[in-house]
Amino acid sequence: MPETQHSCQVIENRKVGSVYYRLAFDAPVLAGAAQPGQFVHIRVSEGLEPLFRRPFSIYRAQDGRVEIFYEPVGKGSRLLVQKKKGDLLNVLGPLGRSFTPPGKDVRQIVFIGGGIGVAPFMLFSDRIKTHQAGKILLYGGRSKAHTFAMTEFRRNGVRPLIATDDGSVGVKGRVSELFSQIEISPETMIYTCGPRPMMAAVAAFAKANSLRGEASMEEVMACGLGACLGCSIPTSRGYRTVCHDGPVFPLEELVF
Amino acid sequence: MKIEVQIGSSVFPNPVTVASGTFGHSEELYQSPEVKCLGALVPKTVTLHAQQGNPPRRICETPAGMINAIGIENPGIDAFIAQKLPALKKTGVPLVISISAHSPEDFVFMAEKLNAAGGLAGVELNLSCPNLQKKVLVAQSEEATLEVVRRVKAVVKYPLVAKLSPNVTDIARIAQAAEEGGADAVSMVNTFAAMAIDIRKRRSRIGNFTGGLSGPAIRPIAVRMVCETFSRIRIPIIGMGGITCADDALEFLIAGATMVAVGTYNFVEPQTSLQVLAGIKAYMKENRMTDIRELIGSVQK
Repeated sequence: MPETQHSCQVIENRKVGSVYYRLAFDAPVLAGAAQPGQFVHIRVSEGLEPLFRRPFSIYRAQDGRVEIFYEPVGKGSRLLVQKKKGDLLNVLGPLGRSFTPPGKDVRQIVFIGGGIGVAPFMLFSDRIKTHQAGKILLYGGRSKAHTFAMTEFRRNGVRPLIATDDGSVGVKGRVSELFSQIEISPETMIYTCGPRPMMAAVAAFAKANSLRGEASMEEVMACGLGACLGCSIPTSRGYRTVCHDGPVFPLEELVF
Repeated sequence: MKIEVQIGSSVFPNPVTVASGTFGHSEELYQSPEVKCLGALVPKTVTLHAQQGNPPRRICETPAGMINAIGIENPGIDAFIAQKLPALKKTGVPLVISISAHSPEDFVFMAEKLNAAGGLAGVELNLSCPNLQKKVLVAQSEEATLEVVRRVKAVVKYPLVAKLSPNVTDIARIAQAAEEGGADAVSMVNTFAAMAIDIRKRRSRIGNFTGGLSGPAIRPIAVRMVCETFSRIRIPIIGMGGITCADDALEFLIAGATMVAVGTYNFVEPQTSLQVLAGIKAYMKENRMTDIRELIGSVQK
């Protein structure tokens, strides 16, 4: 078995709120190695349907356990719902390039997450609790039901600001309604993960205001190891694989 | 137990290899145990000039398979030889380098560059490329296949493998043309031309509009093609198409393949080739076979 492959026992797999699920599994080596922004590539079925593994951002990695958040919307994630405590999971990880930790010069850290895309920022905020910068999370979701873990973010010293499509919590509208909270300064660092149009808006805002930032991208993935070149996306440096060159890219390199 | 196999003048320690395009050009993968155990390593096809590949989406999952249209993203043969080949050689695994070109002249030119690079166990011609004169793939024309193979064979100093496309009426006839041209082996099969549609958007799921189907879904067709070709040529066959385990690989060997390649399933389970090799040995032991040749083409009619 390669060093990145693990057979992991499920500790817990349950619905959190009305939309999302949280899956925790026992993975001491993986938990120790995981960096914010990296992902795990999980075999959701032992058969041939679906064939590919499914990538999930690492939500938490501590005390020998790894947690992911997911929304059962597709063939793969719906199968994941059936995993029970004690089941074995076939996991590759941690994979991919992580977020760059904010330097000492950074005064404001801005996480911008859409829906389930907020997941990697929990691990990130766990790991940078002692960083002196002000930390905010601009969160965009469909409705109140799609917001999660806001209490835990607060516990990590991150102030969440919410925008929902239906206005059921926070401001009504897109997450871009909250961009006014971002300090226009070279000492600001943006990290974003979520739907493509949202990240395109973040990239455009960062460019217009000369802000630094990184985005975690998503693409249909097969191997997860940089071998098949199936998940390549265009960047200013040519095609780059999301699984191996990413998923985290500097905002200015992305082509939307 | 003898599991060595031979293609032309090259001897491979065992019959298990990987299908081109399923191991990328990524150096970190070369040092893994899966690579060290391989009978041969076939990296992703290289072309004369660098190719950036196709726009996304490049892949699409289908029932027990996948469609891909990567577009042979590669750094070009000079950069490949300078930057990638040294690490590949360091693995100690026999190397078969897959090349593709738009004309027989370019194929010959690339073969000469590989001659100069030295240290290879073989060259594989990816003939699933457009033949600019005839508007079909080289691999879809007996004449074009014969011509490319013959011209490369005249210059190349390594055993020569012709990779065949299954998108033909009679694949054995193309294999015969490759043999006539001087090929030391044929590898089969490449992907099946395929398409999947997003019905909500009414668009293809593949950026390139169409692509090639691979994976377990195509295996029975590939096994049939290997079996039909085996009786009509004398050179060895490298069999591939949806191999996921030793039992699948054994089907190809029994149908007539001398070597077997794991392709798509590398993306699902990176250690598949290790398991395939172990399983072939276990099967031979169980069936009291001492030489892999007892297995090759042993299917009863």
